Amino acid sequence: MASRFWTQGGSDSEEESSDYEDDVENEGVETTTQTAGSRYLQANASDSDDSDGQKRVVRSAKDKRFEEMAATVDQMKNAMKINDWVSLQESFDKINKQLDKVMRVTEAEKVPTLYIKALVMLEDFLNQAMANKEAKKKMSSSNAKALNSMKQKLKKNNKQYEDLINKYRENPESEEVKDEDEESEEEEEDEDEEFEEDPDNIRAGSGSDNDDDDDGEEAEDTNDSGWVRQTGRRDKSIDKQFKNPSEITWENVNKKFKEVVAARGRKGTGRFEQVEQLTFLMKVAKTPAQKLEILFSLISAQFDVNPGLSGHMPINVWKKCVVNMLIVLDILTQYPNIVVNDMVEPDENETQKAADYNGTIRVWGNLVAFVERIDVEFFKSLQSIDPHTREYVERLRDEPMFLVLAQDVQEYLEQAGEFKAASKVALRRVELIYYKPQEVYDAMRKLAEQTDEGDDGEKAIEEESRGPSAFISVPELVPRKPTFPENSRTMMDMLVSLIYKYGDERTKARAMLCDIYHHALLDEFSTARDLLLMSHLQDNVQQMDVLSQILFNRAMAQLGLCAFRVGLVAEGHSCLSELYSGGKVKELLAQGISQSRYHEKTPEQERLERRRQMPYHMHINLELLEAVHLICAMLLEVPNMAANTHGAKSKVISKTFRRLLEVSERQTFTGPPENVRDHVMAATRALTKGDFQKAFDVINSLDVWRLLRNRESVLEMLKAKIKEEALRTYLFTFTSSYDSLSLDQLTKMFDLSEVQTHSIVSKMMINEELHASWDQPTHCIIFHDVEHSRLQALAFQLTEKLSILAESNERAMESRTGGGLDLSLRRRDQDYAAGTGAMGGKWQDNLSYNQGRQGRSGFTGGGGRSLALGQAGGYSRGQLRGSGGYSGRAAAARGSQMDGSNRMVSLNKGVRV
Amino acid sequence: MATYDLTQRIAPNLDRHLVFPLLEFLQERQMYPDEQILKSKIELLNKTNMVDYAMDIHKSLYHTEDVPQDMVERRVEVVARLKALEERAAPIVSFLQNPNSFQDLRANDQHYNLQMLHDRYQIGPDQIEALYQYAKFQFECGNYSGAADYLYQYRALCTNSERRLSALWGKMAAEILMQNWDIALEELNQLKEKVDDPKSFTSPLNQMQSRIWLMHWSLFIFFNHDNGRTLIIDLFNQDKYLNAIQTNAPHLLRYLATAFIVNKRRRPQFKDFIKVIQQEQNSYKDPITEFLACVYVNYDFDGAQKKMKECEEVILNDPFLGKRVEDSNFATVPLRDEFLENARLFIFETYCRIHQRIDMAVLAEKLNLNYEEAQRWIVNLIRNSKLDAKIDAKSGTVIMEPTHPNVYEQLIDHTKGLSGRTYKLVGQLLEHAQTQAAR
Repeated sequence: MASRFWTQGGSDSEEESSDYEDDVENEGVETTTQTAGSRYLQANASDSDDSDGQKRVVRSAKDKRFEEMAATVDQMKNAMKINDWVSLQESFDKINKQLDKVMRVTEAEKVPTLYIKALVMLEDFLNQAMANKEAKKKMSSSNAKALNSMKQKLKKNNKQYEDLINKYRENPESEEVKDEDEESEEEEEDEDEEFEEDPDNIRAGSGSDNDDDDDGEEAEDTNDSGWVRQTGRRDKSIDKQFKNPSEITWENVNKKFKEVVAARGRKGTGRFEQVEQLTFLMKVAKTPAQKLEILFSLISAQFDVNPGLSGHMPINVWKKCVVNMLIVLDILTQYPNIVVNDMVEPDENETQKAADYNGTIRVWGNLVAFVERIDVEFFKSLQSIDPHTREYVERLRDEPMFLVLAQDVQEYLEQAGEFKAASKVALRRVELIYYKPQEVYDAMRKLAEQTDEGDDGEKAIEEESRGPSAFISVPELVPRKPTFPENSRTMMDMLVSLIYKYGDERTKARAMLCDIYHHALLDEFSTARDLLLMSHLQDNVQQMDVLSQILFNRAMAQLGLCAFRVGLVAEGHSCLSELYSGGKVKELLAQGISQSRYHEKTPEQERLERRRQMPYHMHINLELLEAVHLICAMLLEVPNMAANTHGAKSKVISKTFRRLLEVSERQTFTGPPENVRDHVMAATRALTKGDFQKAFDVINSLDVWRLLRNRESVLEMLKAKIKEEALRTYLFTFTSSYDSLSLDQLTKMFDLSEVQTHSIVSKMMINEELHASWDQPTHCIIFHDVEHSRLQALAFQLTEKLSILAESNERAMESRTGGGLDLSLRRRDQDYAAGTGAMGGKWQDNLSYNQGRQGRSGFTGGGGRSLALGQAGGYSRGQLRGSGGYSGRAAAARGSQMDGSNRMVSLNKGVRV
Repeated sequence: MATYDLTQRIAPNLDRHLVFPLLEFLQERQMYPDEQILKSKIELLNKTNMVDYAMDIHKSLYHTEDVPQDMVERRVEVVARLKALEERAAPIVSFLQNPNSFQDLRANDQHYNLQMLHDRYQIGPDQIEALYQYAKFQFECGNYSGAADYLYQYRALCTNSERRLSALWGKMAAEILMQNWDIALEELNQLKEKVDDPKSFTSPLNQMQSRIWLMHWSLFIFFNHDNGRTLIIDLFNQDKYLNAIQTNAPHLLRYLATAFIVNKRRRPQFKDFIKVIQQEQNSYKDPITEFLACVYVNYDFDGAQKKMKECEEVILNDPFLGKRVEDSNFATVPLRDEFLENARLFIFETYCRIHQRIDMAVLAEKLNLNYEEAQRWIVNLIRNSKLDAKIDAKSGTVIMEPTHPNVYEQLIDHTKGLSGRTYKLVGQLLEHAQTQAAR
């Protein structure tokens, strides 16, 4: 018994509603009619399931409010007894305040009856007091004053609830019943009418009341009767209607079903009630098709339980929903002739066809939409639950449950040949897996295996208890246990290749992004990069929806981290710099809302933003991201600054870094580093002097490194890089002080091997960054004195400016004359060629992947130009838009990296698959 | 020895018959046990109609005179089918073999030809189709010259574009196998046009695959044709083809890299190619590409030297690169010598750019030469004014001449154009003003 008790409790949908209904009931009843109360209490006590079980559970906020209210009513009653109007007045104010809270919590439109009751009571008492003039005179002055003000207040207050009060006065007895389902009076009336219409049923019902105990299936009976009593009269009526199994026909189930469905969404329809009714109907359904149809409505009704976009579905309802979906799949697998479709409206009586019907039976429904909705609800619940609580962890444990469902649905759809739909479901699965590193994946796999072993017994019992009551019993055909491949990569590959084959554009793009993210997570930089480039996602990301853009940003961030981990500093920087150029990383990654000082968001915007936040467990650690970005920028920018001491502004690699550096240089005193920025700035200061050891030590002291899996090797790589850049910086900065420098000395100074040093210095020589050459016999670097004197440097600057002047003249002229002139045209071409040369060169050096496969195929000269322009556009837009949104900025800058061609997505999938 | 063997990666992109030369080469070099090669040969032959050949191999493999029953059966079957096809194609073959009637065909008028054939010789589309089948069968049997002839004639008569394309492929394969490199090259060019024509493919994927095939097949031609080493760069280094290489067949980079090294005149494209190699380092590398990376990316000359030795090995063991020339019982691999010479030059060139003074002994060692040779080599370079340097015999060093442009020259260069430009600008302005005034 106990175990069944628990299963019921665990899987019950009406937990909350019944809970608070009972409470109201109890309190209300206690205060007014003792006898009735006891009856109800008894009923409750004898209840063999749900509500009692629920009560042990933590009280919801709702219950608390109601309790408070009831307490206040008690206080009022006491005050009345001693005729204390002052305290009565206080209590009245208090109850009004509580009313607000209650209304907010329950989100109901109707005022709780408890409150109305109190009002009526007060009014009566007041009238009584006013009528009793003698007593009034006897009162103390303060008391009298309170009485008068009370009178006025009450008058004003009661006007609002006039109807309700009158109703209550008319019919105080029925109020108790209404307590139970206060939300749905109209429906109840319908119910009553129907009740009258079907005298036969009543008779049958009442007759069968006695049969209850005689019925062979005891388990069902206790179960059912408890259920009936608890959910109230209306359900009792249905129940009665269908009490006798032999009398249930397809017609009356169908009729009832239609009624219930028609009530859906109507004002005052109890959402929980509807779920209950449908659950019951589902059990008594006559044909599999009908059962299916009812199940679909039931699932939709479960989705309706939570109104509004912001909140999420109650978790237990969600779980039930998943179970229902699994039953749906059971039915579908057992009766392959049933086809689910949402395109055609099936016949009125399609569901009448029994299980042995030969042809196809069409039932209206959309499995994919349901699965997606379930996923959305899961996501929402994770969004709104505080990530630091146990609840969050518990919630996360439900993930395998959804994965099972998705897997089953996908398999079913694949069997049914609906690959397009299957790919959508596959995408949902991908989106649950892509952000998990192998360790987390393993943990999930283990968890899924464990819980399922635990659940198995439980489920069997549950099935048993449900089984007999259902006319159409369905064996568990679809697996309830998720099957995960050993490796998350295999799973991703499997799902993703299905999606690439059959998915639509958006599904494919998202799957591609997830794929990239996952590859990056596994440190497969080149694969991830190739995928990104081949898919041309960078070009199209502006046109995508915001959620996909967020996913894109996440993928880029992860790619940047991955590039850093494998030691590709320049690539890492180019991936991350766009994210950081606007200072809105949090927003771009949907990991929190950053407050802008200058721009107030409208509530609408804020709500939207809140809705697309990533749940906590999917976050990319921002500190790590920032550290990686700044370190990459440092490694690139420090030697770059050292090389261009003459303030050549055009060669800024990372604006963000420069800005930070300026800020930190302006400080009069620099304290010990506290946050990531301080650390990197301190390291930068050391690095500019060529002190690699100190630079590394400072960076090593950052505690974000513990988040890295292969921390040791990454730090080693970092150290090597820092040494290298320190050497370069040193050479740039101090060449003028040397005439020659021996290789030995350099290798000792920077703790590098001779080969490395030689290679680095040689590279600098070839690139003409360093005006020097080796003297092979002595192993020395001989510096050539080609440093320009100040005068010469100025002269060069002058000539540069002159040529710029000449150019701008020509351009001005061109715009005046229409530019058809031979000379200016030629000029312009050259200019652009030069410009793109410099620009393109820089980009190509920095983003070596920039001119990757497609880069090659697409642009030569012209591409470079559009690249430069595109970038400028991106920046200006970014500044204009301010906090506006995700869409334009990052994407524009990003898009500029690649040449455009939209059809590639499909092509490259093919290549890959 | 077999580490850098690419046969496995190349073979899937070749026709069955084209794989034979590769296997022959492997057998000759004894890279794999003989048995293994013979077995794979039989496997290869199983799907072709060269049953006699398969039987021979079988005999030599198992040292028996018995031949498995299925081979005998297959032989009967093949012969029967050959007969049948011959019969069906007989009318058109006899027509084609008759030189007089052959003149009736007009070169550029397919429609007329078909009409004429139909009217005068009662040869319809069926017979033409039979010709194609017959040619294909001939090819399968190993009779390449017959197949080539028939396919050539078929092309003149065929109207189906898909069939024409396969006829082209078939013709090219036949020519390659007959080692008619000039004709094969012609076929290659024709085929390339077809492959690059976007109309002939439904999906870009197919097109890319065809390009990859084309490149693989062309290897036979390029490394045997006299002009092949220039042509291979022309073909492979096109964006579309390079793209295909990078996407699906990075091993072809070896051949392109070799061609670049051997070919001195291709410097501008060379820089870009180095970048490609750098990018593809993690998807494909072998000593040849690594050599380039050492010289041009890492400036690791010791490494380059080591790689050079490995390169020699690779070249000798590559069926395309390691082609032997028999020269009065003295076999040489011309490509190897050329490669080594050029690679040496590459190293030296880069080495000189970053050095002011180099010890001759070290240089000689780096170039894999002895002292005397090295000196001679450098003197030659200096004399051909390829190198701006002097030898200091006393200290045994080479001294480079500094090549730094004068600051004043630079300044003058910068400003040279300015006055002219301004002058022209003013001229234009005046002209413009005049036309405005005239209006």
